[in-house]
Amino acid sequence: MISFKNVNKWFGDLHVLNNINLEVEKGEVMVVCGPSGSGKSTLIRCINRLEPIQEGEIIVDDMKVHDKKTNMTQIRAEIGFVFQQFNLYPHMTALENVTIAPVKVRKIRKTEAQELGKEILKRVGLGDKIQHHPAQLSGGQQQRVAIARGLCMRPKIMLFDEPTSALDPEMIGEVLDVMVDLAKEGMTMIVVTHEMGFAREVAKRVVFMDDGQIVEVAPPKEFFTNPKSERSKVFLNAIL
Amino acid sequence: MWGFYFSELVRSLPFFIKGLWMTVAVSGLSLIMGTIIGFIWGIMRTSKNKVLRYLIGAWVDLIRGTPFLVQVFIVFFILPGIGIELEAFPAAVIALTNLAACFICEIVAGGILAVSSGQREAATASGLSAYQQLRYIILPQALRTILPPLVGQYVLLVKDSSVVSAIGVVDVTRVGWLTVQRIPEGIMVFGLVGILYFVICYPLINLSNTLERRMTVAATKL
Repeated sequence: MISFKNVNKWFGDLHVLNNINLEVEKGEVMVVCGPSGSGKSTLIRCINRLEPIQEGEIIVDDMKVHDKKTNMTQIRAEIGFVFQQFNLYPHMTALENVTIAPVKVRKIRKTEAQELGKEILKRVGLGDKIQHHPAQLSGGQQQRVAIARGLCMRPKIMLFDEPTSALDPEMIGEVLDVMVDLAKEGMTMIVVTHEMGFAREVAKRVVFMDDGQIVEVAPPKEFFTNPKSERSKVFLNAIL
Repeated sequence: MWGFYFSELVRSLPFFIKGLWMTVAVSGLSLIMGTIIGFIWGIMRTSKNKVLRYLIGAWVDLIRGTPFLVQVFIVFFILPGIGIELEAFPAAVIALTNLAACFICEIVAGGILAVSSGQREAATASGLSAYQQLRYIILPQALRTILPPLVGQYVLLVKDSSVVSAIGVVDVTRVGWLTVQRIPEGIMVFGLVGILYFVICYPLINLSNTLERRMTVAATKL
C-alpha cells in the first residue's frame, strides 16, 4: 500500500530522512515513535508530499509520489491526514469542515456530502455538534472533527501526526478510542505517537526512529519487552 | 464684508457640489479598480513565483517611496513624451488607482500571510487545489484581517485624491482654489472644502471602526 525505497531528504544540511526503506500493507496499523527531531513527522508528511523528498521512491497505492509529474490531488484524496494542532477551518462549522473536500475534490453533491458528514460526525461521537464552530469545541472534540474530516473523503489510508500531543490528558482517551475503532475496522494507518497503550492494542508493528534513520521495526510486544538496539532502550526508559 | 462673501459662497455651492462629485468620481473609480488590482497583486505577492513576488514588491516600494504629486506629474506630463497622451481625468484615475493598488496589495498580502500555515497544509492534504484553497480557506480568513485597514486606507486615498487638482482636475480642492480668488476668505472657503471631504470620509471611518470591532469579536469567537 505504501512503500519507501531508499528515501533521503535534507533540510539544508540536516539529513532528516536517511535511507528509509519501509513497506506498509493494506489494513496494517503502524506506529512510529522516536525522540523529537528524529524525522518521524517528516516521514509521514512525505507520504502525501506535504514535504518533497530529494532521493528515492515513495509509492502509494501504485502511484509515484516521488515523481514530480504525478498529479497529487488524486493521491491526497485517498489519504486522510490528522495534524497535531487539528488545523480545522475556524470560519466553518464542524459539518462544513468535513464536507468541503468531498464536495470540491470528490465532486459529490452537497446534500449527499452533508448526509455522509453527519453520519461520520455521529460515528466519532459528535452528532450533536455539527453546527458548532471549532472555537466552540474542546481540543478532543476538535481533533475528532479533524479525524472525521479525513474519513469523509472515504480514504484508503489515514495518517496521524502526534494526534494527542496537543490535548489535555483527560481528552486523549476520547481521541484514541476513535482511532482504535478505526484500526479495528481495517483502516490502513500510520500513527506518529508516544501513546504506547495504543501501540500495544492495535499496532502490528512499531517503527523506532532516531536521527533520521529507522533504527528498529518490531511487533509492539517485542519492541516494548525486548528492544534490540541501545537507542530504543534509552528511549523506552525515558518515556515509560 | 464677511456676510457678503458668505452669501457669495452660498451662491457658489453648486460649483462646490460639482467639485465634490468630481472628487467622488476620481476616488470612487480609483478605489474600485485599485481594490481589484490590489487583491490580484496581493495574492501574487504571496505566491510561489519568486519573479512575480520580487517585481510586485519592487513596484510597491517604488510607489510608496515617492510622493503622489510626483507620480501624478509623471503620468500627466511625462508619459505624453513617450507618446501616451492623457486628459487630466484619466491621468488622475490611473495615478490614484496605482497608488491604491500598491497600498491595498500590502494589506492583502499581510492578511494572507497572517493565516496560519497549518490551514494551507490541511487544505493541501485534503486535495484542494491552490485556487480552491485561496477561495474557500485562505481568503475568507484573511478578509477578517484585511477589511478594517482596507476601509481605513480608502479614507486616506479619498484625501490623497486632492493632489490631482494640481493637474487641473476640477475636484473639490481645485474648486476651493478657484473660489478663493473671488472670495478672499481662505478660512471660509477651505473650511467648506474640508467639511465636504469630511462628509465623504466620516462614514468610511465609522465603517472601519465597526468592522474592526466586529472582526475582533469574530476573532475571539474563532
